[in-house]
Amino acid sequence: MDRRGFLKFAAGGTVGLVASPIIWNTLYDAVYWTQNWGWIPRLKKGESQYVPTVSKLCPSGTGFLVRTVSGVPVRTIGDKNNPVTHGAMTALAAAEAELRVSPARLKTPLRRSPDGAYIAISWAEAEKLLKEKTQQAGASVAAVSGDPTSSINEVLSSILNQQGSSDFYFMPDEEQPAAVAWEAMGGQGRLGYDMEGSDCILAVGAPVLESWGVVAANRSLFNRTHPVGGEAGQKLIYAGAVQNNTAAGADLWLPMKSGTDMALLLGMAHLVIKAGKNGFAAGLGNFASFAAAYTPEKVSAITGVPQERLEAAAKALVEAKKPLVIAGSALGSGGSAGSVMAAIALNMLLGSVNREGGLLDLPYPVSVVAHATDYRDTMRKRFVDYTQNVAAGKTKAPALFFVYAANPVYSLPADSGVKETIKKSGYSVAVASFMSETCEECDLVLPAALGMEAFDDVQTPYGSGRVTYALARPVAKPFADARSAGELFIALAQELKLELGVKDMPELLYKHAYALGAPFRAMMDEGAVHTARVTLPASPLFYNWEAIRAAASARGEEGDLQVAPVVVLAMGTPQTAIPPFATKVVTDYQLKGRYSVAQMNGATAAKLKVNAGDLVKLVAGNNVQITVVAAIFEGILPDTVSLVAGLGHTAFDEFSKGKGSNVLALTSVRREPGTGLPVWGLAGVKAARA
Amino acid sequence: MSSEVKQFKIRWGMVIDIDKCTGCGACMVACQAENNVAPAVDGSNKLRSLNWLTVFRLSNHKPFPDHEVAYLPRPCMQCGKPSCVSVCPVIATDKREEGGIVSQIPPRCIGCRYCMASCPYHARYFNWYDPKWPGDLAQALTPDVSTRMRGVVEKCSFCHHRFMKAQEAAVARGEDPMNLPDGAYITACTEACPNGAITFGDLNNPAHKVHELIKSPYAFRLLERLGTEPQVYYLSRREWVRREGDNYLEHEKTGEATKQG
Repeated sequence: MDRRGFLKFAAGGTVGLVASPIIWNTLYDAVYWTQNWGWIPRLKKGESQYVPTVSKLCPSGTGFLVRTVSGVPVRTIGDKNNPVTHGAMTALAAAEAELRVSPARLKTPLRRSPDGAYIAISWAEAEKLLKEKTQQAGASVAAVSGDPTSSINEVLSSILNQQGSSDFYFMPDEEQPAAVAWEAMGGQGRLGYDMEGSDCILAVGAPVLESWGVVAANRSLFNRTHPVGGEAGQKLIYAGAVQNNTAAGADLWLPMKSGTDMALLLGMAHLVIKAGKNGFAAGLGNFASFAAAYTPEKVSAITGVPQERLEAAAKALVEAKKPLVIAGSALGSGGSAGSVMAAIALNMLLGSVNREGGLLDLPYPVSVVAHATDYRDTMRKRFVDYTQNVAAGKTKAPALFFVYAANPVYSLPADSGVKETIKKSGYSVAVASFMSETCEECDLVLPAALGMEAFDDVQTPYGSGRVTYALARPVAKPFADARSAGELFIALAQELKLELGVKDMPELLYKHAYALGAPFRAMMDEGAVHTARVTLPASPLFYNWEAIRAAASARGEEGDLQVAPVVVLAMGTPQTAIPPFATKVVTDYQLKGRYSVAQMNGATAAKLKVNAGDLVKLVAGNNVQITVVAAIFEGILPDTVSLVAGLGHTAFDEFSKGKGSNVLALTSVRREPGTGLPVWGLAGVKAARA
Repeated sequence: MSSEVKQFKIRWGMVIDIDKCTGCGACMVACQAENNVAPAVDGSNKLRSLNWLTVFRLSNHKPFPDHEVAYLPRPCMQCGKPSCVSVCPVIATDKREEGGIVSQIPPRCIGCRYCMASCPYHARYFNWYDPKWPGDLAQALTPDVSTRMRGVVEKCSFCHHRFMKAQEAAVARGEDPMNLPDGAYITACTEACPNGAITFGDLNNPAHKVHELIKSPYAFRLLERLGTEPQVYYLSRREWVRREGDNYLEHEKTGEATKQG
């Protein structure tokens, strides 16, 4: 080949190579194969279905469509046809398809071996053990349920009753103090709130847009009454120590010191009486003269709410056509009955009882299982009284202790005696879906199916203004070896030859639907939800001013600082802990690495001589000490630190474990004067730089 | 940055009413679940966690008790003049499809992160690590959005797969896929917001609610004066919230730069 020939060949080769797809394909393949690694999960394709059901993990029973792909749930989407929640979601319900397969999910029955480790056992073995232990325990059996809306409670309480035990309890919640208060004021039925019919809501301590009542329904109502870019059709006033999510949506925020709810409500009562609102009932004169001492100046000094805001709130209530006052606790448990009584009295003054947009007397859920304890009777019982008595040796420890859908070891104050009760009981059984702190204390742990995996129901949750009934239907097969808790308890009763009157969960749900006049077939087949406005004969309410006066005498907490807890559903519930898909919703003003973040305003930080980012030690009255990171936030009262609840888990999975501190550790159980109710809503702490 | 705002017959956009948002985070959870964004063990570390949609807390910067709070959800703004597109050396991100959504093609991305530097909204995130779905979590992946790999940038796509599905459904019904009715295509965050703070639709289509909403005197966009022409609008009746949307000098007023393109 000559020189010319070589150049021709080289030029031709170059042009040919460039024109051919070799270079581009090689480049493309290099890009593709160097970035498409085999260990990145591949997606599973398949037929999508959207099945309506309700959440059993979210306390408000959110109605959602579960999207399944080839039978596996992948998403939960708000169900617009649900007449209770109207398609509104919570961060918890939105994460439920992923929670179903989260690392904390219990996969198989576990039995504790003598060396303390758990051994996986079969269901046959677990059932045999359960039957033996129940037979041996006889009447010495106790149980606590953390899901008051479920019919499964009836099965469990029926088993206990037939064994000769009356120790069936609900976990302390928002309703127990309210039930005490409503009864003390003359209420005959169950306290209900017609928020939909009201044009002005004052929520004292109750975070109605985040954790109080039927949250998803409350948010849907907020959506409907606050059109995009338009005028709001309902006024919302929120009183609480922190500018939380509810305060962000409220028209007016009343910055109220933790634990001063009573004073605020009595101050409002004084102002509305002055404005001529004095709905008559027995005891009005005495109550009015008692409330007269709560002048705006005094109330402002006690609560920290600026006087003009108190007056603005009272004016809004007086001018509203259908005002409604709601009292509740920031934590959702351990609240006082006194503040609910004062709220009821305020509603009575405003004429907001037994009418549209006011407080209503709803019927309590009925029992359909033979020998079951009625909802109302269970609600009257106080779990913490029982556990404290067992811990103190005043009551005999049960031979068998059931914990169903609850995590009392985490969600009650350290001195509640729960841990001791579990330790002292002969044998403890946890029926749960996730490996919680309580499961870790129990001898036998049984994996329960979720709401989307089994038959269950949601009977009117507390905070509703109507009777509602929804079914949770099995949309997917239970994860791993989990099993329906309802079927498990029914099978146990059958093994023990106990009489329930129902043979399985569908029959139990059918009987409930029948008792309520609900369309069972449509509920089963199409996921329909039953709602009914029930009007009962008006209760003969009276101003129980003596009970209010007694409750108002409760002493405040000691310590330099008040702790104001904030509950957000993105942190899950004590039963679920933080859902894997919600960790990013947790903000850097709630958690920083291993530490909880304590928010405080600039004046408080200056007083404590701390800067944002400093480590601070908080020491509670019970000598519990936690270390937190300081953050400055002006939406909080002076001498108050805000801590988010739901942190400090020692069980579950890497998404929850070892993050921050449990705010409940700072609280101690006390008894409310007058009612004797165990309360722990507030805590005073001393602070120092760590 | 390209000098022209790209024109499309359809311009998908969002109007977020900040006065309705209470910062619950349901939108963030729904977004992650819908788009197969891997969960983070420590999600509170905002430098390392990856979100297509983030909710920020706003403050009026006044001391207690005059302090006010608001929440601002921030998806990708799908800018009319996207500064990310012009800096991408491999055309892994582009804005050329009808609908005006800024695309992101992860396998094409070389991880240079120029787009992240150029995005004034910090809407782009880099996969510093392999995405992980511990245990059985990968079972809950949706079939719609491929998982991404370490070393690439990703961002909100306005749930583009839902747009495609809505178009397919329209074709199946014998309707015009380029003229979807209001609500036929919405993003996962819009669907999940319990307070109805997010409205989604075609900004160009008078039959869509967003078309009117962006004309509100309370409407504004983030960093409007940069000229990026975002397709995400915000609404607030509170002047201080609107001022948070840009770097205003004391004498400057809000609303002067608003264009309803």
